[in-house]
Amino acid sequence: MPHFYPKNLTVKSFAEGLKNRDFKAREVAEYFLKEIEKANPELNAYLSVFAESAIEEAKAVDRKIEVGSGLPPLAGVPIALKDNILVEGTKKTTAGSKILEFYEASYDAYVVERLRAQDAVFLGKTNLDEFAMGSSTENSAFGPTKNPYDLLRTPGGSSGGSVAAVAAGLALAALGSDTGGSIRQPAAFCGVVGLRPTYGEVSRRGLIAMASSLDQIGTITKNVEDAAILFDAIRGADDFDSTSADSEKVSSPTHLHKDDFREMVIGVPQEYMRSDLDPAVLKGMEYAMDKFKTLGFKIVPVSLPHTHYALAAYYIIVPAEVSTNLARFDGIRYRGTKNQQPTTHNLSEIYLKTRGEGFGDEVKRRILLGTFVLSAGHYDAYYAKAQKVRSLISRDFDEAWKKVDVIFAPTTPTTAFKLGDKSADPISMYLSDVFTIPANLAGLPSISIPVKKYDLGGGELPVGFQLIGRHFHERAILGVGELYESL
Amino acid sequence: MIIDKKTLGHLAELSRTEVDPEKESKLLKDLENILAYFEELKTLDTKRVEPMAGGAALTNVFRGDEETLRLVNEKALGAFPEKERGFLKTPPVFEGEDF
Repeated sequence: MPHFYPKNLTVKSFAEGLKNRDFKAREVAEYFLKEIEKANPELNAYLSVFAESAIEEAKAVDRKIEVGSGLPPLAGVPIALKDNILVEGTKKTTAGSKILEFYEASYDAYVVERLRAQDAVFLGKTNLDEFAMGSSTENSAFGPTKNPYDLLRTPGGSSGGSVAAVAAGLALAALGSDTGGSIRQPAAFCGVVGLRPTYGEVSRRGLIAMASSLDQIGTITKNVEDAAILFDAIRGADDFDSTSADSEKVSSPTHLHKDDFREMVIGVPQEYMRSDLDPAVLKGMEYAMDKFKTLGFKIVPVSLPHTHYALAAYYIIVPAEVSTNLARFDGIRYRGTKNQQPTTHNLSEIYLKTRGEGFGDEVKRRILLGTFVLSAGHYDAYYAKAQKVRSLISRDFDEAWKKVDVIFAPTTPTTAFKLGDKSADPISMYLSDVFTIPANLAGLPSISIPVKKYDLGGGELPVGFQLIGRHFHERAILGVGELYESL
Repeated sequence: MIIDKKTLGHLAELSRTEVDPEKESKLLKDLENILAYFEELKTLDTKRVEPMAGGAALTNVFRGDEETLRLVNEKALGAFPEKERGFLKTPPVFEGEDF
């Protein structure tokens, strides 16, 4: 019988409990591994579980405590990692795809190096939409993940596995990736906090690339305070990712002074507060705004006039970048779906067959679409045009920052939808990211926070709101978010 | 139809990705719907707008020319399904009566 309280355990309270010797890292790791064993067959949050190495990592932390060593903030914290983040030596790093079913990661991602340096404990790799393309985790080649709040519904995607793991108490925290909302949307669907950092804050070295101008690794936690701790651990300039920024010069560390943030002005973009929002979402937004008013925040309407065009621009740019990034999967350099032995020695046929069989429908759709929008005769009308629209969307935010410090918006237009509801119609699936995409296009940080605390058995589907901040001003959205949670 | 069967065949060849014939008609329909959705971008005047390439405004980012041995040979080769004497092994690119 564990003498810690897993439901209320956070990264911060875990660190305190460990220091006070209320429990050992090993027993907490064992607890989580047992819970995973019980719940994962139904939930399918994890694709692989590191049962042995997790215990070894936890034991090493306990030994450090025994000899009185100081502990880093994440020592012993049981963390789940989305399966598009490389952990050296893991036999299957799949990115949710058959084409990487047997790929063994040959190096640690930068974020994994940083977590290892803090003696974090890795519980395993979580399920995702194939190559992070999707909004429901139904595009995984290894079965969908279920929403812990309602097993007939999706947890959202593409980081559905990581989010479901934290929401269902199968990890204390997790990492995911967010290109168009893939952390924030599932976080909203499952009542957890999902942070997508500023583009460049977190190195993409070791993240299996989808859309290189948009991808970012981010955090999934039970509360905002934990998000700040985990974010602080993984951010930083990396020589091996030329798009990673030295943000130390621009933003101060994430040590938060609560009163500093009360002076911030919150903007509400009229284009996001549409009348066709799901009533539960509308109600949630009203509830959240009332809370902000109670906290004394000034709330001001703003306009982001090009919001409507963001989805189209995104779904031109992303397939284009995808078609390039996925060209490497040819069955020659990375272990293919099977040892394609000669039915053919013809190289071209090997490519066609490996990719034809190894990629799922959504991935293929995007590769073909991307090939089209980049091809001669179409490049200007589609890709070049989309890049210009991207500028306009970014400029909308620049204008808004003249009036406000933080932008408040719904994360999703609906609550979690049922498995199978949107999988037949790509556009209806894309539309679930309509509020998350603009921040990605502009490279801005954004955090999704549950409107209130939800109970797994409570019968209510979670709703989340977003706080979007200026480039490299995670400090602002984390600070305002923490104030919200403190009420 | 912007993408017809012939164009689809061309795209499949360009991207070296085989399309399952049974899924072809749905694929054509999906692509048509998605492209139709893009039409509204045409209503935007972007004549004097600079394209935005990426998320970062950085330029000329280089690291020092120092050797930091990162990925040891065996590890990098480990991912290759077929290898020989430290090389990646592939079927011949050129073959047949042409040569």
